Amino acid sequence: MNSSYKPEDSLSQELPIPEVMPPEKTEYTCDVLVIGCGWAGLNAAVAAKEAGADVLVVDKGIPGYSGLSSFSSSHQWFDSRFGDDLDACLREMTMANEYLANLGWYKEWTKYSEMIYERLTSWGFLTQYPTGADSGHYVDGDWRHDDLRGYREEMMAYDRRTKWVETLDRYKIPYVTRTMICDLIEQDDRIIGAVGFHVPSAAMMTFHAKATVLCMGGGSFKPSGFPTGCDSFDSDWLGYRHGLPIVGKEFDDFHFCTSFAPGNVLSCNSWTYLENIWLCGGDITNERLLPRAQAEAKNLILPRIESATRGVGAYTRTDVQPASGRGSSVSKDPSDPRRGKWTSDLPKGNIYGAAVGMQLHLGSGIWCGIDDLEGKTGLGGLWVAGDGCNGSCVSGGSYLAATGFTSNFCSVQGYLAGKAAGASVSDVSLPTANDRLLEEIKDEIYAPTKLQYGFDPNLARDQLQAIMAPYWVTIVKTERSLTSTLSLIEQFRDEIVPKLIARSPHDLRLCHEMKHKVLCAEMKLRASLERKESRGYHYRADYPFRNDEYLCYLTIVRKDNKMQFQRVELKDEWKGDTTLPYSKRYRTFRFPGENEAMHLENDPSIPSSGWNPSEAFHTEETVKQ
Amino acid sequence: MSVRRIDITKCIGCENCWNICPMDVFRFDYIKKKSIIAYPENCQSCGQCYLHCLGHSLGFSDESTSYAITSTR
Repeated sequence: MNSSYKPEDSLSQELPIPEVMPPEKTEYTCDVLVIGCGWAGLNAAVAAKEAGADVLVVDKGIPGYSGLSSFSSSHQWFDSRFGDDLDACLREMTMANEYLANLGWYKEWTKYSEMIYERLTSWGFLTQYPTGADSGHYVDGDWRHDDLRGYREEMMAYDRRTKWVETLDRYKIPYVTRTMICDLIEQDDRIIGAVGFHVPSAAMMTFHAKATVLCMGGGSFKPSGFPTGCDSFDSDWLGYRHGLPIVGKEFDDFHFCTSFAPGNVLSCNSWTYLENIWLCGGDITNERLLPRAQAEAKNLILPRIESATRGVGAYTRTDVQPASGRGSSVSKDPSDPRRGKWTSDLPKGNIYGAAVGMQLHLGSGIWCGIDDLEGKTGLGGLWVAGDGCNGSCVSGGSYLAATGFTSNFCSVQGYLAGKAAGASVSDVSLPTANDRLLEEIKDEIYAPTKLQYGFDPNLARDQLQAIMAPYWVTIVKTERSLTSTLSLIEQFRDEIVPKLIARSPHDLRLCHEMKHKVLCAEMKLRASLERKESRGYHYRADYPFRNDEYLCYLTIVRKDNKMQFQRVELKDEWKGDTTLPYSKRYRTFRFPGENEAMHLENDPSIPSSGWNPSEAFHTEETVKQ
Repeated sequence: MSVRRIDITKCIGCENCWNICPMDVFRFDYIKKKSIIAYPENCQSCGQCYLHCLGHSLGFSDESTSYAITSTR
């Protein structure tokens, strides 16, 4: 082995990749199976255990390290002791989230969020400690100058990621790691467990359960950058395959982002992993919610639409964003612990890395029905919880009036789903799947290993990212841009996905992740075509205005192996005052081109963009009126 | 792509990188007690393996691997 360091030898120092033996145990039974262990999964597992169930957790990686949860930086809860006002909040929420917010789930959140805050505090997740700047480890946000390692070592006792396993151990909940779930076992209209494989060895793993809770997160089409971990729309694929409706695909979180320069990503993302989860709240859970949403639209929507379309500037560079109470809400009451995000200064600008196609937080996933408040799906024995998994639409089609509450809300959803799943199993006997069904699932899981020739899943990943990343696919959409992209994705679906080849167990995981991502890409494009209006994070440059004919949720269901749309009517009290004139009804912000299309006067109290979408399309595209 | 090896002899076999990486980039040789950067093409550049590497055996490259789509994050 090399004893002297030669940079040019970097990867050539590596030992050969060893063959990994299958785990000793590959078949499990339990009362409640929790798949995925971020905020939703951890709270689901503990709640099911508290309900008396025998619980098992399975994770694609290792709990605490696998998805977006370990990257959380805000934690918001509703606290009436400090003046949070539910009635004012609900009234404002309707307009602030453009009348698509699921107020049923929002009210449920206000009931449980303080309990969840206290629970996570008792588990050690929310202990506040010095920032890198306070402790002297931060220099200037350049990873070559900052002492990230020194900070990590000094603050090791606070590392949130270790708390997931510590909490599971405390509640004596066993967990299976490095196992990707590829299918659910459906028998007699009931889910009786799940099947997957142990990623390092490719060994088949079978789980029989009386109840199953999916807490698998969302996904993105990124090759690198924003640390969404291994999230690859796995639960969308499972839900769609088993005939469940998928909702919210037209609404993307705008993490289309910038370059993937890893050195800068290291600085920017590492401080977020290492510093506090900040306690937030108090300025959106009351009558100040609409101005807050307007401010967010100014930051999150309008400049991103414009800059995505214009491309990079002539002198773009990395800027350092000063620390402040930014990023989430901040209470004005000095005795309120919710004091907002006070990170070390973070580098921002031409650096951040991409998560193209990442779901709108809490707005996309499996749809459980307009009255659902526990994540119970249309299939017996199956619950869903958390971001990207339960498409509860709690914040409607945008994240404007919800920033900072995802970690708490996912925990609430997990808690409620786990409690319900745990209570459901007492009079259910443990089912067993028939062998033929298991053989069929097995054949599909291992199909990529049986090919003699095929396409490398990494090549497919880069191709898919290239198709989905341009601004005309996820940011500024038109009939033409969506239709032409859809034909590429259909080709991808039919010609590439069946020929994804796995030459190692690692490849097998990538092949399945690609299959899930391509399905999700198709759903995003079809949903964006279906919603012929602009609302929230969905901007159609050919329909640059809200249209109350689309005041509904659009769900996608598999029928005859095709995607079919269904409209879900909202509850009347969620719709706001539909008799108001347009200019008074929609006051969050104006889309580019909206004033012109609707013949509206410019209203200085409503954020708008001076940019015109005609700049984006030098074609014959016309704006519908 | 982004994670890199500085010096394999400094790997003390703590398994942190292999346990932490959500992208399945690492393998571990239990006979030689060393980690292996097996699939660097799937590194998501979070850098957490590098920060948790007790022997300081891992490093991080800062070459840009792709290009900016826009000027904002």
